Amino acid sequence: MGEAFEPKVVAFCCHYCAYSAADLAGSMRMEYSPNVRVVKLMCTGKVDTIHLLKAIEDGADAVFVAG
Amino acid sequence: MIVGERKPLNEIKEKVKDYKKLLILGCGTCVAVCMAGGEKEVELLASQLRIANGLDKKEVEIKEATIQRQCDKEYIEPIVELAKKYDAVLSLACGAGVQLVADMLEPMPVIPGLNTRFIGIAEEEGKWSERCRACGNCVLGEYGGICPITRCPKSILNGPCGGSQGGKCETSKERDCAWALIYNRLAKQGKLENLYKVAPPKDFRTQDFPARQVNENYVKATKTEEKEATAKK
Repeated sequence: MGEAFEPKVVAFCCHYCAYSAADLAGSMRMEYSPNVRVVKLMCTGKVDTIHLLKAIEDGADAVFVAG
Repeated sequence: MIVGERKPLNEIKEKVKDYKKLLILGCGTCVAVCMAGGEKEVELLASQLRIANGLDKKEVEIKEATIQRQCDKEYIEPIVELAKKYDAVLSLACGAGVQLVADMLEPMPVIPGLNTRFIGIAEEEGKWSERCRACGNCVLGEYGGICPITRCPKSILNGPCGGSQGGKCETSKERDCAWALIYNRLAKQGKLENLYKVAPPKDFRTQDFPARQVNENYVKATKTEEKEATAKK
């Protein structure tokens, strides 16, 4: 058996809600999966299709937007 | 503006599958405004093709470029040298742009990435509709600025027909009856008497193609300038 597939996930998070929530989770010593890479944005209204595509192009297996 | 729409990715992939170096060329005028072939759409298509090629384990060099207009030689000239370094050009311009680029880059293959749809207007964000069939003999003055040739599916000049119901066209409930629009507009303008006149059959010879237009005075002036310049030498 090879290693289990670990998808690389890029999370685009809004500074004012999702990122703050992740930050709070960190303060509470809660853990999230290390294969999630968080990209902080001042507002997820800034997210464009090209940002999602570029993340996948550069090796991400999945992306999500939280805001 | 000329309204176009992007061809499906699979069709584009099939058309460019033999090329190892590809230039995706956007057009910054009409098709950029209708979100089909401008700088942003070039970036999106390039990214989609890179991802698709990666999945297919194909190594293809993709370059992105966008010029102001592909229907004017002046704007194409600066990218000719760049384009020659590639195996093919995938043009996101309207049919006119694709053809001029193909002429100027001959014998390089130039592939269209869009389907050219119509001459139209932006109704609202993300919605465009046809307004002109370029018939070469404009009748908008008689019909309150609403074109019966374009907006009536039958192109009738003495409407409405029996298919006009509640201001809608029998061909689609979503389509306004052009003749209802014309009637209402002329009523507002106090020009309903326009409709008493019977319009003779339209002369469609003005819609001959391929159409061509020459501004004689401009051509004459340019030639005179050239002659004078040669004489001075």
